[in-house]
Amino acid sequence: MTQRTASTAVLQVAGLGIAFGGLKAVDDVSFHADRNAVTTVIGPNGAGKTTLFNLVSGALKPRSGTVSLEGRDVTGLSPAALQRAGLARSFQITNLFFDMTVRENLGLAAQVLDPVGGALRPLSRTGRAATKVAELIDRFGMGPKAHDRVAELSHGEQRRLEIAMCLACEPRVLMLDEPTQGMSHADTAETAALIRSLTAEVSILLIEHDIALVMDLSDHVVVMHQGRKLAEGSPQEVRANTAVQAAYFGH
Amino acid sequence: MGDRLDIAMRASHVVAIGLLVLALVFAAVAAASGDRFYLRLATEALILGGLALSVDLLLGYTGLLSLGQAMYFGIGAYTSAVVIGITPSFWAAMGAAMGVTLVSAIVGGLIANRVRGVYFALITFGMAQVIAQVIYNTRELGASDGIRVPEIEVPLGVVTFNAADPLGFFLLTLAVIAVMYAGIAYLLGTPFGRVIQALKANERRVPYLGYSVWWPRMIVYVVAAMVAGISGALYPMLRGFVSPELMYFAVSGNAVIMVVVGGGGTLVGALFGAMLITMLKSMIGTWTEHHHIVIGALFMASILFLPRGIIGVVRPRIETALWRQELRAKHPETGTLSAGKGAAQ
Repeated sequence: MTQRTASTAVLQVAGLGIAFGGLKAVDDVSFHADRNAVTTVIGPNGAGKTTLFNLVSGALKPRSGTVSLEGRDVTGLSPAALQRAGLARSFQITNLFFDMTVRENLGLAAQVLDPVGGALRPLSRTGRAATKVAELIDRFGMGPKAHDRVAELSHGEQRRLEIAMCLACEPRVLMLDEPTQGMSHADTAETAALIRSLTAEVSILLIEHDIALVMDLSDHVVVMHQGRKLAEGSPQEVRANTAVQAAYFGH
Repeated sequence: MGDRLDIAMRASHVVAIGLLVLALVFAAVAAASGDRFYLRLATEALILGGLALSVDLLLGYTGLLSLGQAMYFGIGAYTSAVVIGITPSFWAAMGAAMGVTLVSAIVGGLIANRVRGVYFALITFGMAQVIAQVIYNTRELGASDGIRVPEIEVPLGVVTFNAADPLGFFLLTLAVIAVMYAGIAYLLGTPFGRVIQALKANERRVPYLGYSVWWPRMIVYVVAAMVAGISGALYPMLRGFVSPELMYFAVSGNAVIMVVVGGGGTLVGALFGAMLITMLKSMIGTWTEHHHIVIGALFMASILFLPRGIIGVVRPRIETALWRQELRAKHPETGTLSAGKGAAQ
């Protein structure tokens, strides 16, 4: 892997912090995610990983620090604005339009690709969004279930649809919050392969609990503990770090 | 091939066209037999159907329960009545009603869209009560007596008729309601319409699609208010008067009942529900004044046993038929194999 420098960064987080009451849920966290790489945030429960994700994706407004996407300061933008700036995220708890079909879900996620002027014209069957939906259905092998309601899908299928939804808007950065959460062994392996294949087109920021998966998948690992960044580095470096071993891996 | 939402809407259109044909046959029979009573009753059902359409756009498609939609119905009706009192012009009355409703809807939307869920229901209820009380206490607007409205001519370019002509006014109302139905259906089939329906399905996910939640809610709220206001503007032309009761909870609640019984989130169910409830009230009303008991029981039965109302029983069958048709058009030889997939829930 090439040297990590600020110039290879697609997403830069500097001094990010937020407190709830007296608790510093995320405290002065800085790191950057490289272009077309998998950057993984790990840490024990309550370390502040999801809060960090919420700060970066606009769900929460940081009290201090900055977030830059491709050099542009996007700190404090709304989730919708960040999404349009090229940052898509999935959720730890499956968060889809359950009453709608797979295709309707993907259509909703993809329709930002079409010009705003078409918002009041009948849904296009030939525009960029429609092409994208067809491509994703094909790529994720969801053809037979395209017209099934999302509520009727298996958990693994719903998790994969979450990823497909994020890809539908052609983001620069894809944030996945525990994408393999609750998945079977086979589904996990399949999802890992999928995530790996995605780096060709998108930079990935990941939260993951499965350590074997983290070590296998990540180019760069950021370890959080009690709201702070404890360490960062390659998977090997992080694994060798004694402070990380003490806090995270236990003895 | 269309999405399930498109197929469902087309299935609603099949029912709507059926109702339209029925309405025209009814009009022909009524006109031939010189009836006035049933034509006027049917016109009232259609006008209330417009209010129900407005409730369905909010409740059935956007997931917003308005318990004060009669406020916009009443604002449309009062504006229309006041304008007719000044100048007996149909178009001035309609235009003014639309303008006043638009302004009120923007103000009301700014207030109501600060909250959601139960609080949205309560605040819409509260706003309607306040406006009704203000009118009740305003002498210039007739206070508790309301306003009497003279008969007016309706000039439609090719034909001109008197609003008191039951057949003419029935057909006019039918046309207005049909155009509003078509307009809402069109809106729901656009990318904007999909965002509205996404709000109902999972509002918290919508920002992560790149859309603001506030704007679509606000726009759909104003559109729904306009539909209610336009329907309301026709009311004084039919009945010859307006009174504060038009804005009371009974009217708002009744519109919700019409939607739930007919079938929320089907659009045509709102019209069907309005026709059914208006007819039932009139029929039962000739035997007993306790028609509320019957309507109430019907409402409860719909909630318990027919989650998509009466239209919700019929429509899935039409959806399945439409799916088959689409599949057959796409793969003529295998069309029936997986037919019905995805329809009928």
